[in-house]
Amino acid sequence: MNINVLGVGTTKFGELWDVSPRTLIREAYENALTESGLDPNTLDGIFVGNMLSGILGNQENMGAFVSESIGLTGKAAVKVEGACASGGLAVHQGVLSILSGQYQAVLVVGIEKMTDHKPEEVAGALMGAGSDEERSAGLTFPGLYSLMARVHMQQYKTTEEDMAAVSVKNHYHASFNSKAQFRKEISIEDVLKSPCISDPLKLLDCSPISDGASAIILSRSGLTRKSHDTSVSIIASSASSDSLGLCGRSSLTSLSATKTAAGLAYQQAKLQPKDIDIAEVHDCFSIAEIMALEDLGFYEKGRAGSAIGSGDVTLGSSKKLVVNTSGGLKACGHPVGATGVKQVVEVVEQLRGTVGKRQLKNARIGLTHNVGGSGAVAAVHILENNQ
Amino acid sequence: MNNSPVKIWRNQPKIRSLLGKVGRIISYTTVRVPPAGFEDQAPYAVIMVNLDDDTCYTGQLVDYEKNHLHIGQKVQAILRRVKTPGKEGIIPYGVKFKPI
Repeated sequence: MNINVLGVGTTKFGELWDVSPRTLIREAYENALTESGLDPNTLDGIFVGNMLSGILGNQENMGAFVSESIGLTGKAAVKVEGACASGGLAVHQGVLSILSGQYQAVLVVGIEKMTDHKPEEVAGALMGAGSDEERSAGLTFPGLYSLMARVHMQQYKTTEEDMAAVSVKNHYHASFNSKAQFRKEISIEDVLKSPCISDPLKLLDCSPISDGASAIILSRSGLTRKSHDTSVSIIASSASSDSLGLCGRSSLTSLSATKTAAGLAYQQAKLQPKDIDIAEVHDCFSIAEIMALEDLGFYEKGRAGSAIGSGDVTLGSSKKLVVNTSGGLKACGHPVGATGVKQVVEVVEQLRGTVGKRQLKNARIGLTHNVGGSGAVAAVHILENNQ
Repeated sequence: MNNSPVKIWRNQPKIRSLLGKVGRIISYTTVRVPPAGFEDQAPYAVIMVNLDDDTCYTGQLVDYEKNHLHIGQKVQAILRRVKTPGKEGIIPYGVKFKPI
């Protein structure tokens, strides 16, 4: 598989009360289009990653909403929804549309507008990604991940400090990212002293409620960027699914959807976890990054927490792999439909070598990992610098 | 989110089939920041239970002391109001658990 990423763009993530969804979409798209050097009329289709436009904003039909917003009607335009993995799944659909041979070039946009609404409304709407039984129990997403964290702590002696280290690292990385929601460094103590949301997860273990949009333009190989030396390709694209609710899972300390999608992606790319230089993984909660690094094959089960705490995956580490240089969902922000697209934007920019202070040296292979629900769906992409 | 009376009615047999079942806690948390409809109950404990018939169910733990909130605690399914009634006026009942 070799799908060119011709252009990328992302808005700032955060509490953007004065910016409309249409403006966010236009900003991300125009940046990606300019980079691609393509005539917009050559785009064959638009894939929109979004979860909550209907339940929060009373706006469905997001394919047409996006095509109208960017002034590009007359194209196939469709929304892809898979909770917080909507963006990653939209990228997957974009890749498949090109692999089918029907489309030459497509736009993938991830968009979410969350901060216009009250926190309990957003928490309730996000629970649309869980099961009916979990909604009746009054669970929230921090609650669901707490249920997994509790068992991980018991089985592998993972500590609250191990989890806090994920947030500390991701805030440090975000301090170098002008698009990030939180650019303030925090300490382990800050995390441990922050208010408890759902035991054992505290406020600073949790990704925030955010607004934002990200866009990428994909094309079949052959079409290349005219004005740039470096080109980046998607060399693997996979997705998998599992039960909606935690009760249907084979394990509470591992996401089977992640393992399956990652296995397929490594197979497609003919690579192994040790070949990856940079990864953007789904750290919706601190425990989720620990589980992700284990399920993606970077660490043995129970080993990721202490490795993160030792700084092994932090920028400047002597080890090969660096994780969540954007700041991750925790500190860059988590506009749910945009996140999976933003992860690809970050990896592309890292592989091109254009991210300034947070640049990883000699990065050649990158991976993105996007999860929907408490592990009900997952999408994994592997990207390569073609030079 | 609304409480569809039809949906509540359709779920009655499932609730009835669970009542009285016994099992053990396999994980637990205390929700301190609730979603809409649960504001008047927070903070509340939510547990995952491995029932004696080897099925799993997730629900709130009620009528408990702090020492009951641990993995392995024996619990029983009971009938309780689950959330604030909506404008339809129907009280949504469902399954919660109590320690035994």
